[in-house]
Amino acid sequence: MNTAELRAAFDASLDRLAGSDDSRAARRHAMAAFARHGFPTRRDEDWKYTDLKPILTGCFDPLPGPASEDRRQLTSDRLSSLELTPDAPQLVFLDGRRLADEDSRALPRGVEISDQHTAWQRIRSIQTDGQFREYPLTAVNTAFSPDCTLIRVGANVDVSQPMHLVYLDDAGANSAAQARLLIDLGANSRLCVVQHFAARDGGWTNSVTQASQEPGSELTLYRLQEHAEKHFHTELLDVRLARDAAARLGYVDLGGHLVRNDLRVRLAEPGASCDISGVFLAARGQHVDNHTRIDHIAPHTTSNEAFRGIVGDRGRGVFNGKVVVHAGAQGTDASQSSDNLLLSGRGEVDTKPELEIYTDDVKCAHGATVGELDAEQLFYLRSRGMDEETARGLLIFAFANDLLSRIELPELRRRVVTAVAGHLPDYEHWGGLL
Amino acid sequence: MDEKPLLQIDNLHAAVEDRAILNGVNLDVRPGTVHAIMGPNGSGKSTLAQVLAGRDTYAVTGGSVRYRGMDLLDMEPEERAREGLFLAFQYPVEIPGVNNAYLLKAALNAQRASNGREQVDAFEFMKLIKDKMELMRISKDFLNRSVNEGFSGGEKKRNEILQMLVLEPTLAVLDETDSGLDVDALKVVATGINSLRHPERAAVLVTHYERLLELVVPDYVHVLSEGRIVKSGDQQLARTLDERGYDWLRDGTGGP
Repeated sequence: MNTAELRAAFDASLDRLAGSDDSRAARRHAMAAFARHGFPTRRDEDWKYTDLKPILTGCFDPLPGPASEDRRQLTSDRLSSLELTPDAPQLVFLDGRRLADEDSRALPRGVEISDQHTAWQRIRSIQTDGQFREYPLTAVNTAFSPDCTLIRVGANVDVSQPMHLVYLDDAGANSAAQARLLIDLGANSRLCVVQHFAARDGGWTNSVTQASQEPGSELTLYRLQEHAEKHFHTELLDVRLARDAAARLGYVDLGGHLVRNDLRVRLAEPGASCDISGVFLAARGQHVDNHTRIDHIAPHTTSNEAFRGIVGDRGRGVFNGKVVVHAGAQGTDASQSSDNLLLSGRGEVDTKPELEIYTDDVKCAHGATVGELDAEQLFYLRSRGMDEETARGLLIFAFANDLLSRIELPELRRRVVTAVAGHLPDYEHWGGLL
Repeated sequence: MDEKPLLQIDNLHAAVEDRAILNGVNLDVRPGTVHAIMGPNGSGKSTLAQVLAGRDTYAVTGGSVRYRGMDLLDMEPEERAREGLFLAFQYPVEIPGVNNAYLLKAALNAQRASNGREQVDAFEFMKLIKDKMELMRISKDFLNRSVNEGFSGGEKKRNEILQMLVLEPTLAVLDETDSGLDVDALKVVATGINSLRHPERAAVLVTHYERLLELVVPDYVHVLSEGRIVKSGDQQLARTLDERGYDWLRDGTGGP
């Protein structure tokens, strides 16, 4: 699939795409912007370490039709196994399309899901050429997304239950799922969202999530990616925070063949803060790229970012973390770390922090490490009677668990800890300890 | 005293990166005894402790160590632990992400497995450690905290002793467990060590100061200097060292 083919597919399917005038206009704008630059290549600085070729050599149907009854039946059977809690409201996405009739539970009080008309109006009002230039795959998503889900939380609403969003992009190896989500948090509201990607087959998920936070609002967003190891996953998470708003974002990547997570956070008004953590595993040819950009636009804004990668045989981990402190953003406090365990000589890690600072009076710290297990820790555990495999396995787990233990939802934390542990070496030796 | 030594160190030499640190240590430790090893900084005390536990940064360049009739130097660190050798670390290692309960349970079960005993379940485990935690003045929430992470110096040392109490080692080697402790913490630690004294067990206390030895009274006191034991005696020797320092040993006889 090249740019011209995608353009042709777009022209052929525009009539099939659901749509108000806003939707059509937004899609056309996106496609036009995309066509000017095309798919990014490794010559683009932002894509230096990640090559989309494996995705694009396939012939993707960028807009799979609605799923058959059989597949929908399979989907509902699977949902119970992915359930987070028996009562958490669940939204289900199949091939990028929301299955409204699978919303088995009532939405929490104060949460509303807007109609398509409103959602596309919103998309149209916020999208820009610049955004598409920087995030070309967002343009692809906009052009082909079958629908758009806009979750709105009213001012002063504290949503106590987490919302569980499940993405089952199982249309097959030659299909692309373009899921689109918008989240609007009213002033002083609070919401926790769990995005759970779990395709069982090959195929390509290209997700875009945009959150807008009014003053004093708090968003917690956990994103768990457990695709099959032949699946491709690309996404953008774009969060804009107003005065004193806070975002806590947690990534866990366990599956996928080629994974590219773009994160953009704009701390647009004073007092805004974000806390980002990510854990990924990459082995057996898996490639995981976390590409983040945090803009400190207003004074007295805080960001805290920590990514940890466990890279095994033939795994590849990439971290590119840009922090931009704009002129006038004095009192910025930014910290960033990228720590990686390289467990095999046949793995690779590329980590690149980038700081751009255009003001004085800021506190910025960053660090990157790529290493092996700590010999002192290993000896300590062995001196307590643990055999070497057990001690190594436990220390690898600990490296991830140090971040995972910060997940505040106990059900999710347990689920994630178990899932991560199950992917690590010699689990059978030490898993019983957990 | 014809009982066989638990630990028999014979002319032990060890080096780190070609620098000799132990230059022929000889020491017999019989069951039921407590030995104190004292000596100035750099005399090789901690090296001796670490070599006994199997730390591979030190190369053994000569001599032998027999422990319960086995060739200790031929054993992996975990085998030594399972056979009842315990090292309380001078600087207990922080392990963020591994909580104390995992570590204690894993250590206990590894030892039990090697002795052909059943694994402890969560309930038995709690029952087993409750009194020991009280003895070490360690609160319950500690079990869910990461190993030694953010612990004060005193907490780390009490944690080492707690592990020791859980594992009930045949031979405990305590490496400067008293350093950095205030008087109260020192008493707690000493109580822990004394509670394990038993005719079939032994302990080697490596220390720089005499004050621990007032609370855990040793049967033998040895002075290590330049990688050799240069003098042995009883508690009185420790008191003399405390009053006079180590220089008189060198000035006086010039050697053992």
